[in-house]
Amino acid sequence: MIFYKRDAPLFIKGCCIYFGCFSMATLTRQDLNFGQVVADILCEFLEVAIHLILYVREIYPSGIFQKRKKYNVPVQMSCHPELNQYIQDTLHCVKPLIQKNEAEKVVMVIMDKEHHPVERFVFEISQPPLLSISSETLLSHVEQLLRAMILKISVCDAVLDNNPPGCTFTLLVHTREAATRNMEKVQVIKDFPWIVADEQEVHMEEAKLIPLKTMTSDILKMQLYVEERTQKN
Amino acid sequence: MSRDGWRKKASEDDGWGGRGGYMAAKISKLEEQFQKDAPSEKQKDGTSSCIFSGVAIYVNGYTDPSADELRRLMMLHGGQFHLYYTRSKTTHIIATNLPNRKIQDLKGEKVVRPEWITDSIKAGRQLSYVQYQLYMKQKGLNYSSVCARGKQDTSSIHEPSKPSLNHLQSDSIKPQPSHTQTLSTEVLKSTHANHKANFTERSNHQLDVRLNGSCSIISEEDAERPRVNGIHDGDDDDVDDNACALLPRGSQDTLLTNGYVHPVNAALKPQDSFAELQLHVVDTGSHQSHLPQTESRDREEPSCSSSGSKANSHQRSLISTASPAKQPGLHSMQKDLHPKPTSNPGTSAAPQKGNLHDQTRVRLNGSYHMTPNSSTLADSSNPPGRSAAGAEAGIISEFFSRSRLHHISTWRNEFSEYVNALQSRSRAAGGAVFSGQEKLKKLRANCSSGSLMAAPQVRQSCILHVDMDCFFVSVAVRHRPDLKGKPVAVTSNRGPGRVAQRPGANPQLEFQYYQRKQQQYRKEKTDGDLEMTPSPQCDEVPSNGVDLDLAALSMAEIASCSYEARQAGVRNGMFFGRAKQLCPDLQSVPYDFQAYKEVALSMYETLASYTHNIEALSCDEALVDATNLLVELGVTSDDLARAIREDIKEKTGCTASVGMGSNILLARMATRKAKPNGQYFLRSEEVDDFIRGQPVSSLPGVGRSMSSKLTSLGVSTCGDLQQLSISRLQREFGPRTGQTLFRFCRGLDDRPVRSEKERKSVSAEMNYNIRFTQVEEAESFLTNLSMEVQKRMEGAGLRGRRITLKVMMRKPGAPVEPAKYGGHGICDNFARSVLLAQPTDSGQLIAAEAIKLFYAMKLDVKDMRGVGLQVQQLEGSYADPSGQGPSRGRSIKDLLLAKQPAHSPRKDPPAQDGLTGPSSSRAFSSNQERVTPPSSPPSTSSDPMPGTSKGGLHHPHTPNHVRTYLNVSIEVPSPSQVDQSVLEALPVDIRKQVEQSWRHREEQPSTSSHLSTPPRTSSSPPPGPSLGTLVLQLQNQPGQPCTTGIILELPDVSQVDPEVFAALPRELQDELCSAYRNKGNAQAQGITVGKKNPFPQLKQPAVGKLKRRYKKRNASPAKKGPSPLKKLFPGNSPAKSSPSKTLPLPLKHPGLKTENVQCPSSPSTDVPETLSKFNPRPVPTLAGAYEFSDIRTLLREWVTSISEPMEEDILQVVKYCTELVEDKDLEKLYLVIKYMKRLMQQSSESVWSMAFDFILDNVQVVVQQTYGSTLKIT
Repeated sequence: MIFYKRDAPLFIKGCCIYFGCFSMATLTRQDLNFGQVVADILCEFLEVAIHLILYVREIYPSGIFQKRKKYNVPVQMSCHPELNQYIQDTLHCVKPLIQKNEAEKVVMVIMDKEHHPVERFVFEISQPPLLSISSETLLSHVEQLLRAMILKISVCDAVLDNNPPGCTFTLLVHTREAATRNMEKVQVIKDFPWIVADEQEVHMEEAKLIPLKTMTSDILKMQLYVEERTQKN
Repeated sequence: MSRDGWRKKASEDDGWGGRGGYMAAKISKLEEQFQKDAPSEKQKDGTSSCIFSGVAIYVNGYTDPSADELRRLMMLHGGQFHLYYTRSKTTHIIATNLPNRKIQDLKGEKVVRPEWITDSIKAGRQLSYVQYQLYMKQKGLNYSSVCARGKQDTSSIHEPSKPSLNHLQSDSIKPQPSHTQTLSTEVLKSTHANHKANFTERSNHQLDVRLNGSCSIISEEDAERPRVNGIHDGDDDDVDDNACALLPRGSQDTLLTNGYVHPVNAALKPQDSFAELQLHVVDTGSHQSHLPQTESRDREEPSCSSSGSKANSHQRSLISTASPAKQPGLHSMQKDLHPKPTSNPGTSAAPQKGNLHDQTRVRLNGSYHMTPNSSTLADSSNPPGRSAAGAEAGIISEFFSRSRLHHISTWRNEFSEYVNALQSRSRAAGGAVFSGQEKLKKLRANCSSGSLMAAPQVRQSCILHVDMDCFFVSVAVRHRPDLKGKPVAVTSNRGPGRVAQRPGANPQLEFQYYQRKQQQYRKEKTDGDLEMTPSPQCDEVPSNGVDLDLAALSMAEIASCSYEARQAGVRNGMFFGRAKQLCPDLQSVPYDFQAYKEVALSMYETLASYTHNIEALSCDEALVDATNLLVELGVTSDDLARAIREDIKEKTGCTASVGMGSNILLARMATRKAKPNGQYFLRSEEVDDFIRGQPVSSLPGVGRSMSSKLTSLGVSTCGDLQQLSISRLQREFGPRTGQTLFRFCRGLDDRPVRSEKERKSVSAEMNYNIRFTQVEEAESFLTNLSMEVQKRMEGAGLRGRRITLKVMMRKPGAPVEPAKYGGHGICDNFARSVLLAQPTDSGQLIAAEAIKLFYAMKLDVKDMRGVGLQVQQLEGSYADPSGQGPSRGRSIKDLLLAKQPAHSPRKDPPAQDGLTGPSSSRAFSSNQERVTPPSSPPSTSSDPMPGTSKGGLHHPHTPNHVRTYLNVSIEVPSPSQVDQSVLEALPVDIRKQVEQSWRHREEQPSTSSHLSTPPRTSSSPPPGPSLGTLVLQLQNQPGQPCTTGIILELPDVSQVDPEVFAALPRELQDELCSAYRNKGNAQAQGITVGKKNPFPQLKQPAVGKLKRRYKKRNASPAKKGPSPLKKLFPGNSPAKSSPSKTLPLPLKHPGLKTENVQCPSSPSTDVPETLSKFNPRPVPTLAGAYEFSDIRTLLREWVTSISEPMEEDILQVVKYCTELVEDKDLEKLYLVIKYMKRLMQQSSESVWSMAFDFILDNVQVVVQQTYGSTLKIT
């Protein structure tokens, strides 16, 4: 599991990366196995979602975000290279897990100055075990579902309380069973090892659960909910 | 329903609030119109009369003549016509045809055919409506069930063990049982004196013991028993017994206890002490040497009293009168009552006597619990070490058989039953003879004929509230003229009211606690309003600290005191010691339960001689609906009241007061004014003035907490209360209470006088003398308490689903020994409840649940001071559930259960349902006795019940080839399919039946379901295991001696969840595959399965059939069901009762376990039902609804169309929500919850918000378990 400490926010403008680099067409290629497809779709989505959450929850100043279009809706993506790198690296490491259906949850924890979590955005993932992708319509359906989820994230501040100033975030992965052991063997990215998360980061007292969205498709079932600390300040 | 509708409207701030809401305004306007139109109509027609004066009709549905015509007729003939039905004002309902529902709603109302009006007009006088009643039989039905219950109860009265009407507190002001009563200020004063008194007392008792000298084994035994018995006497502070009966204290202690507890038994009603003393003789009679001892002990008690132990003195003298007097007759009595002990009097030696005795005690009380130690205790030569459980086994039933608390509860019920019995009897006789009425008629005839004219022209409802004046006192004083006019109190204490203090007790502390509590109340009040008049409860608080020094006074409460005593400041419920201070020449009188019963009975008889429209409130008060009576007799209410009072005075020698008013509320309030020994009619014109001056606390339902809350709102009188708007009240007190308050403070009350009241809960509670040392004690206590509950439920013929465990725990910091001996002292209350899947009255089940709850509460047994068990959500256990009163929520389940034959296995304790082999196989066999001849079954192939979609379960190796139809008939498989060994293992009679049915079948071979006919009966199972069925060989079933095979009908291949399939063990997979292959071979017309299918080689035969069935079923809930509930839970009961019951064996199989656990949890109608067998996680549905919009519609209909949610339905919703959590569909869950919150909390019924809270609580628990946090509900 990964722990990332935020550096002082930088303000960079004009850095424009087209994010929607994976096109759906690539995903339907016959040579890709099913798990890989799901992992790609999911990681792509997670990246968008994490950026958006960072924006919506005001973890970083809005200046580092830029408006893009993804899933046919506007999203906000960070332009901060280090931040982006962190997110990408993390997801890159998560991908093999998803591929093997070993990741149970991907959690984005927002912590206050004392590194006590105030909010946890939990992406709970479950994949149907034995199904395969058959047609393209299926994927467009998935896209619709993901879009709905993105939209839900963009309005989630309506149901959440404001965070205290100076928050940081970290990404955690809840793995199934003994997947961690394998993880340590294979280091996907050099110098980017997984760390077992502190109890402090995982555990949140008096948490309230706010379900945001659930999607059910043939290849993927995912739900997003937020656990929010009752007393944030 | 409609009333609720009005309330809702009235509650909205629509500008009609001032006139009691829009509806009220409209109704009064309609009435005005009617009055205005009447004269002109009369002119037009010319034939007016006053036949119907006092009659107000409401036309329901189509009538001939029409409603308009009836309205005209009523105008002409002096009647009233109501466009809207009001229970209190409308006298007759005119209808020619009514739906069942309405009949039930209108039970007890006069539903009359329109001919009554036309015929009356023809006859020129108001005919009796009786012949014109629309539904005579409906009433008969109601009362028949009542009768049955009545019989049960009356029979139980005659049992000597069951307490008959004994209850001490006559005064309606403090109906609360005294030992749950908070110690009021009197505690405060009894502190120091206690100490001294106690010491003297103690030494006395030591003397006692010594006098008894050789306290033999038996006397030890006796020491146990009195302790046990003493418990009943809840408010005798000086009953020096203790739940320490449970823990072996020092032997000296027990002896001590023995010393003066015994008399207390005699202080009870004689019957009880009979029983008690009989037991004595059981002990001593066969072992003669003990007899003198016990007797001598009894006799010694009184003598002790003279020697200075004052606290108990009065009890002692009691025993001197009671117990010795009884003793002579005991031997003979004992014979009929205790066959067992007498049957072998000589055989057992002395030590065993104790045992026998134990058993008898238990039996005596009619409870069925076994005394666990009865065998182990054979050696009673070691009495002090006797296990606590033994003493306890009888403790509870003893407690309840004597507890005044218990008497209070039975008291009113008994009179209700009495009234009911009277009613039904008179109905059976075709009309009652009312002697009182006759007398009154004569009286009136004797009067001048002028009084005929004086008879009230306007019919107005008139309720009489008859209340005996300080009941217990006047009963006691009846035969003691010397006490008349003196301050008299009925209490168990007769000394100067001083007792010694026990170690560990700290009355001062308790006193301070309660004082602080009082002060808190005051503070709240003064905060709220400075010019507050203190509420009556506060008046009793002695704020002077002087009283503190005068402590150690008797804490026996005064059950009732005479008016003379009241003048001196004595109040009911006061501690005797304190009262004695206030009024030094206060005379105390002992209880006399027999006399109370006699007097109360004769009071009710008197009332019943006038009318049967009586609602029993308690032993000494009753409500009488005299509306009809007055019209019939043509007398004024005052005359009637006077006659009744004179009658009562004559028959009982006690005085009664009568309050009269147009509704119950006013009648009760008038009684206050009427007292003592008077009558008062609160006329409608003076109601307003009268009620404005009344303190709010005089309103029913306004207790201490509510009045303090009201005080904080600046309200002390009803007049103040009237100033508050209804919305404000509803905000403060909740929708229902607010509405009630709003109406009550205006003198409005439309509660009808009901002779029969429905029970809401059955409970047993004991918070006296609870001192556990070990968890096991608490456990066995709970078990015994559960047995007591079972007994009561059986007595009432009820079963319940919700079990609540209430525990009183010593408040941290409170003294270990409370001021009142054996009392609970200052306590914190805890309660937990659990909901069972099915209603039960099984004590064992209740006990199991209670113990679970108890452990879940994680309490320290040592601090337990009170335990109560309550069972709610009752339904009749044997009666047709649909025949329950209209106030019950309605559910489809009732309907279905009603349709189902009575042998739906209600007797089975729910926990066993569909769980274990043995019990269910018994169910099979019992079903089998009702086996229909096998000639018929295939005809029901398209049976509509969702439960049967499983197609019936086959047990080819067991002889019962079970098929579940709606009527749970069972098809016997053909002989070839039956495992001989299993057949042989069956009981002979069943085997014979099976064989017989085979023979029967052979005679009619053409009708049997053979291989030739499978296509037509495809939804019923094909007979051979070879066809589309799967044989599961279950091995090593625990508790299942013979190996049993089950044949399940295979679901469609498409429905087989590949994941589950993959998870199955290898052999099972193979078996499945081959089964499918067989199926495919046998029925070649199958359709090829889609490529997703894991078994592409298999065919799928029954697709068409199944599809058709889906369609049918899908259509029905959407369109057919008239009630939304029907839609909500169509599969509810059949799914629960039939399929899961007949499907117990697969449960045992590990591979199938999950799905079957899930299967009942899915509301089980549509696809998921059929899928569930092989799909581990069916999509959660609520009554077949899956889409959120559908669910929303369902919920909305449910909430809006039903006034009181049924537990069943709530549970279904909870279940659905739980499934959503399991299905990881939190979003939908969240939406559903939020939607329900909106719906239910908006509902005018507070039940709904309670229902929501319940649902939410349950869901939160599940979410908490799954996610570690709870849902945020804003």
